[in-house]
Amino acid sequence: MYDNIKKLEQQIDDIAVGYLFRQERKNIELVKKIVPQIQEFVFWFLNGNRYGIEEKLYKDLSNNLIYILEDILEALEQGDRVLLHDALTYGLKEYLLLFLQKKEDNINEYI
Amino acid sequence: MNIYEKNLKTLTKYYPRIDELIEDAKINLKPELEVIEDYADNKEIILKVKKDGKTFYLNGKRNTQEPAQIWVDSLGELQSNAPIFMMGIGNPTYLQRLVNQVEKKIVIVIYEPSIQIFLKFLEIYDLEKWMDKHVIIFWVKGLEGMDEENMKRIMVQLLRYEMLMYFRSLVLPNYDVLFSEEAVKFMKICRDVAKDQIIEYNTNNKYNTVVTKNLLYNAKYLCDGYKTTQLVDVIPRDIPGIVVAAGPSLNRNINNLKKAKGKAFIIAVDTALKPLLKQGIMPDMFVLVDPKKPLDLVSLEAVKTIPLLTSISASSDILQFHTGMKFFYNEGYLFAEKILLKSSLKIGKVECGGSVATAAFSLLYKIGINHIILVGQDLAYTNNKSHADGTFHEIMEEADTSNFITVEGNFEEKVPTRPDFKIYLDWYNMYIKGCKEQVKELYVINATEGGAKIENTDVMTLEDAINQECKKEINIQECLEKLSPMLDEKNREWAKEYLKNLPKDFYKLVINSKKAKKMYQKLDKVCDKKKIDKKEYQSILKKLGIIIKNIEEQSVYQLITLTIVNAQCILKNEQFMQEDTIQKEGKEIARKGILYMETVQKLAELFEEIAGEAFNNWN
Repeated sequence: MYDNIKKLEQQIDDIAVGYLFRQERKNIELVKKIVPQIQEFVFWFLNGNRYGIEEKLYKDLSNNLIYILEDILEALEQGDRVLLHDALTYGLKEYLLLFLQKKEDNINEYI
Repeated sequence: MNIYEKNLKTLTKYYPRIDELIEDAKINLKPELEVIEDYADNKEIILKVKKDGKTFYLNGKRNTQEPAQIWVDSLGELQSNAPIFMMGIGNPTYLQRLVNQVEKKIVIVIYEPSIQIFLKFLEIYDLEKWMDKHVIIFWVKGLEGMDEENMKRIMVQLLRYEMLMYFRSLVLPNYDVLFSEEAVKFMKICRDVAKDQIIEYNTNNKYNTVVTKNLLYNAKYLCDGYKTTQLVDVIPRDIPGIVVAAGPSLNRNINNLKKAKGKAFIIAVDTALKPLLKQGIMPDMFVLVDPKKPLDLVSLEAVKTIPLLTSISASSDILQFHTGMKFFYNEGYLFAEKILLKSSLKIGKVECGGSVATAAFSLLYKIGINHIILVGQDLAYTNNKSHADGTFHEIMEEADTSNFITVEGNFEEKVPTRPDFKIYLDWYNMYIKGCKEQVKELYVINATEGGAKIENTDVMTLEDAINQECKKEINIQECLEKLSPMLDEKNREWAKEYLKNLPKDFYKLVINSKKAKKMYQKLDKVCDKKKIDKKEYQSILKKLGIIIKNIEEQSVYQLITLTIVNAQCILKNEQFMQEDTIQKEGKEIARKGILYMETVQKLAELFEEIAGEAFNNWN
């Protein structure tokens, strides 16, 4: 899963760079192509507290992630580029980074 | 006083009466969308818009600042008065970040396509500090007078060639979806204005030395020449005018033109002369504009006496070859204007439109002919050829047009064209529309039988057009023979004297540019001192101002500026740069001033010589 998360984070980052730096207006079309990967991550996260996060925090994070997913789906349905960028870059990506960081910490501990 | 009222007061301080316009628009508002206030996670107010059953956020919920900040950072260093065009104020973070970050005074033009969003913006965000710091122009669709045509005029004022490298534009996210039509128009206006500036610059650049040489050599023809306004007195208005261009379709219907001879005022472009004469068709006039047109293209004995509508900057070789009546129009050359004004007639103007055919069309319209037929005006590649056979070559080469841009055709859905043809096409579309607004009776037939579709024209075959329009017999040659040259004997003598003195005027320019150069050198020395003598500095600038005014007032100086368009651009361009200290600024002014005056001096010396050659042995 780590590799999938890493790949997804990179894909979201590429889309965000185009949107922010090149003022590209095609994030809707690009994100539609990675919806299965986004869903895969969300299901994976909601499917169990894998990293032993404190239960209350895990519940809050899960609720927030569902809220982010709802925003992504709404943005795709409405064609709302602003909401989509916001939900992906300042919402979903934070989760991905959290796990990527966690994984790296674990590797470091192991080493 | 609430924020809205305060904002109206602030705006009115800079734009008198705008409060009335806003209030009027508010009263007559017909809602086209719903503007909804929402709150971001940080409790900031953000807006979302509901339109056609869909909802769009104008700013993010989770991070309201970063997208705007990254955009502002990406702008690089901005220069004073550099224009920034933004479409949309529904997310004011972009404006706020820009205003706060840039210290130099810049010009920000904000085009808001929704009066409702603008009103909501005025209710929430305090404008005062922003307006005090920079020049902010709001262009709001729905406010009286703020239409697209006027917007273009404003942009032309702000977006000069020398500013292009500092110019930035942005359509706020989601505005491209919510107001797609307006966004496309907005970007098109920005692009068109920039493109026009580049074309003007490049055209000047391409022709500059040749133009000035032609102007000096051709000036003598003004003395025996005619003005286009004289045609109004002798050409009847109840006959059609025919513009014969040299597009590839001309080969299809050139023979039919014989039937129009003696029943219309036929004006041919220079390039169409050879194929026309080959078919035994003598046009009533031909048009020459190009400063570099090769003589070979028209060097037939019969051409010598065909009346000529010409730019004074056109190829001097052709004007020398041609011995018939030459018709001139005002092109804004000051030294020529002095001669044109000596005759009591109106000067007359012909819109060039970029090509000889567009100039011919404009002439027909200006002299009051209301029915105009276009022939050979393809403005596109027909059978992959750019021009008719028999023009540049007996058989024109075919081009590979597979990667060409395409436009709507007269008979085909799409036809390939090239950028310069497209510019002429756009000009026709714009010009005919404007003319029709002025003269309701104007009727334009496109009898090209191929090529690109020109708006506001009726497409028909040349044969049908001639049958429909060419009913009255007319001998144009006899009409033109009634005219006398624009200058009478006395003014002709005056003009000759005036032209013979042009070398002296250039010499005066040499003297003045030397004086200016010395003054700039003095400025440079003053700025070398550790502590600058401000009084002396000001005094030098004042003296320089007087010398430069003297230089600029000389009519021949214009010919110099035409030639050094590059140098001028560099100077103008750099005038927007600001230096940190008065010393640095003064040194920079001096450095550029010396360079510029050296160039003026060299050119003035060169033109003094050319003018001498052109006029000294002239009887």
